[in-house]
Amino acid sequence: MTVIRTASFVVIAALLTGCVTSTVDEMVFNEPTEGIGDATVVILGRRHASDYETEPDFIDCVGKHIEARDSSIDVIGELEFLNQLYPWFEPRTAPLRPQDIDKLMAQPPVAARMAALKTEYMIWIDGSTVRTNSAGSMTCGIGPGGAGCFGFGTWGNDSDYEATIWDFTDKAEVGRVNTSASGQSYMPAVVVPIPIIAPVQGTACDGLGDQLLEFLSSEY
Amino acid sequence: MSGLMTSVPRRRTRLRGLKTLAMLAVVILLGACSTQKVVVSGNFPEPLISPMPLTIGVWYEDAFLNHEFFDEASGRAEPSWLVRTGEAQVQMWDTVLDSMFVNFVHMKNKPGEGELNQVVDAVLIPRVDELQYAIPQHTNVKVYEIWMRYHFDLVNNAGEPITDWTMSAYGKTPTAFLRSDTDAVNLAAVVALRDAGANFAVNFTRVPGVRDWLVERGRVSAAATGSQTIGTEIEAAQP
Repeated sequence: MTVIRTASFVVIAALLTGCVTSTVDEMVFNEPTEGIGDATVVILGRRHASDYETEPDFIDCVGKHIEARDSSIDVIGELEFLNQLYPWFEPRTAPLRPQDIDKLMAQPPVAARMAALKTEYMIWIDGSTVRTNSAGSMTCGIGPGGAGCFGFGTWGNDSDYEATIWDFTDKAEVGRVNTSASGQSYMPAVVVPIPIIAPVQGTACDGLGDQLLEFLSSEY
Repeated sequence: MSGLMTSVPRRRTRLRGLKTLAMLAVVILLGACSTQKVVVSGNFPEPLISPMPLTIGVWYEDAFLNHEFFDEASGRAEPSWLVRTGEAQVQMWDTVLDSMFVNFVHMKNKPGEGELNQVVDAVLIPRVDELQYAIPQHTNVKVYEIWMRYHFDLVNNAGEPITDWTMSAYGKTPTAFLRSDTDAVNLAAVVALRDAGANFAVNFTRVPGVRDWLVERGRVSAAATGSQTIGTEIEAAQP
């Protein structure tokens, strides 16, 4: 009975999930052979573009993905790092090239804080998830006898993210990973709307996280 | 008997449903012409910067302490916006100035010319000249934005002007992870305030009038005043 119930849950979950297509490109210049040891990694979002912003929850998702797969890797939270190093990593002041790290480290308090944090790798993620198209219509009504919706809606989502890995000690870019994912979500409604959501951003997060693990972890 | 017993609750249920519907309609109608209020609040970290060997006083004018921005709705379908930044401004500037200088004091009175105050080296008077905001309904871009322009007066301990300059600050935040418009505008304002603090902390010694004053006082060398910044922008308004 339990097996049948579990199987039906799995079938329903699979049916309620839209399809996603994902592509990952990787370019590695200098990979650490035995992992990163007891050093820490920080993942930061680039927020220079005027028409989009790398989502903080996506940065958080990639960090959690890496820590969940390899617990020996210590990923510093983005906000924690930004607060600890304020004002040097705000959108206006953040270094744009690895060579800018030297200018940063010329500030004694910054050099001391970086040493205390033991940050070896800094990963910059740039990109966003956007809605590409939407179609359909849905009408909802409410009355004394109850409420309900009728109609059909569909929309597409595209994710495109690029991660650039900086080696903080060597002040050099050591790798670059690009991931893109797209998917179509549907929402039919006969009294009750049934969302069939394509996990586009989640797929991009997993793809990017797996590639970064191959770079950072000795177990992958 | 049984018919009577069942019909009374049904009538009551219908009445209750109609009442709820009427209340919902009233709420929707009132909501269409309401004002979205945002009292900006957030945490502002201390700048990681070597403090300058100066005693700086700050004077916040009433307009700055109670700074707010009101934008009246252009149509019935849009709400008006009231964004109060005064408290958050003071919280942020106190944190930034306290870390930037060895000594930082609040002035009890506005410094006036001819009134010598030997406690401080100079007094900073910040003002918010302009604040603009944009929400996705205005721009069709999925970001909330706040832009501010500050005006600073720096006067010496005798109340005489040293220099004045303007500085801009900008903050934006995406819609995806936020629940409401007011939360998003609050976060965009906090990001703009952080940007203001960062811009000020990193560029203070590069403002020409400030640089000249510091060099004159022998607090820093002319070369040192230019070395603090990485790719930043300053808009110095020469008197």
